[in-house]
Amino acid sequence: MTIALDKPVAASASLRERFEKNRRTAISTLSVIVFLLAWQFLPMLGAVDIRLTSTPLRVLKTAMELVPTADFANDLRISGVEFLAGMALAIAVGIPLGLILGTSRTARLFIDPPLMAIYATPRLALLPIIIVWLGIGLASKIAVVFLGAVFYVLINTMAGVTDTDQRLVRAAKSFGATRLDIFIRIILPSALPAVMIGIRLGIGRGVLGVIVGEMFSSEAGLGNKIMTYGEAVRIDHLLVYTLFVSLCGYLMTTGARLIEERLRSWRPQA
Amino acid sequence: MKGLLSLVPARWRPLVFGTTSFLAIFVFWEIAVMSGWANVFFFSQPSKIAVAAAAQIANGELPWNLWVSVMEFLAGFGLAAIVGISAAIIAGWFRDVEYVLDPFVWFTYSAPLAAFYPLFVAWLGLGLPTVIAMTFLFAVTPIYANTLAGLRNADPDLLRAARSFGATQSDLFLKVALPASVPLLVAGLRLGVGRALTGVIVAELFGATAGVGYSISYYGQQLQTTNMFVSLLVIVLMGVILTQLLAALEAQTEGWRVDPNG
Repeated sequence: MTIALDKPVAASASLRERFEKNRRTAISTLSVIVFLLAWQFLPMLGAVDIRLTSTPLRVLKTAMELVPTADFANDLRISGVEFLAGMALAIAVGIPLGLILGTSRTARLFIDPPLMAIYATPRLALLPIIIVWLGIGLASKIAVVFLGAVFYVLINTMAGVTDTDQRLVRAAKSFGATRLDIFIRIILPSALPAVMIGIRLGIGRGVLGVIVGEMFSSEAGLGNKIMTYGEAVRIDHLLVYTLFVSLCGYLMTTGARLIEERLRSWRPQA
Repeated sequence: MKGLLSLVPARWRPLVFGTTSFLAIFVFWEIAVMSGWANVFFFSQPSKIAVAAAAQIANGELPWNLWVSVMEFLAGFGLAAIVGISAAIIAGWFRDVEYVLDPFVWFTYSAPLAAFYPLFVAWLGLGLPTVIAMTFLFAVTPIYANTLAGLRNADPDLLRAARSFGATQSDLFLKVALPASVPLLVAGLRLGVGRALTGVIVAELFGATAGVGYSISYYGQQLQTTNMFVSLLVIVLMGVILTQLLAALEAQTEGWRVDPNG
């Protein structure tokens, strides 16, 4: 049973916390090591088919061979451009639209229902029709990333605006602020952390969009290679790409989270 | 606009305006295609979609695809709920289990899980088991993480009170922490529903022999946009109905508890 009941005095609390934190890191690290060892040695013992699991050392070796090649750089460049373009578009459309919808209650009444319907639907279902509209090249992937990310940006921006502290707005009004003043000096800054949450969630969906889009139909890109090597059952190659993409997703999400915390820390707690 | 608003009683506003805006979209769509402004080959037309949907229902295609997708969804999501909630309860009881699972939870949270699809195909073959596995994988993490957060968020005052009245550790867990976790658990299920639906559709798009996702991809290859839209609208309906159901469940589980500040 681990629910802490009695808070010990301050000094020993920090000691205990530090112990708990070290213990946490140690156990988590150990868990990953055990997983890697099992992955490495179970196939050797014949418990699982090595052709279907590969081994961590083999994946590492393949990664060292694959990652420096020009081919890999090219795929990364293509997927990267698709992701960044789609993401930039999602931000450029999602934030202004979210700000407008957030400030107008009437507009929200009309827009909310279709917006929620799209939000509740897996946007990746649109992939085949987007391919019909835009072809199998860059444009369709950019559209998929855009559709994956834009609703998170939009809805969070909207929420950020509607959650603005009305006391601040009223105070500014009574000191003679114009609507523009209120918008720029109060609504915009107070919506910023929510916007950043939207961007972070959008990044995750955007990465998924690029990869699924490329896996579904494309001529190049990291997702294309994932599908190609998957169909050829070359698990070590497949895992190099899969893990690389996962790492990219992780790094970008973590980066966005850091910015988010930065944005939140400068303001006093409400 | 203000005058228009006051014509409708507040209770009915969401319904009235929602219906209006959906109708407006369909009417605009129909007219845009009819007037030749939008190409019918690319965008189809609501009236044509309705006819195609009726035909697909009559020949049993749509009900069959829907049945397959719903079964896959229920299997994958059900499995994710069982595994996610039990794992969270175990991790809530033994903190070390949480630490052991932590790295894998982070990983599945930030990795685009669809990239593991070929791996599942290699292991389980093309078709039903792979779709269910993907659905499970998409849904299990938010369910686990939210349930665990719910268990951890038990009100410390309640815990202290229960303990001072002689509650044992298992009493604390079963009677305080577990009920306290219900709202977050349900929130996790809601997130899981959305992701499970994505899992079903993505896995069906890639490779299946039936299901609404499969039918979109099948008609896409034949450039039959009208039939694609039929499946798309079915998916939208599935998404909306599932989300509404979970929202209702969420409201229910919030309702039984007394507001601590009230």
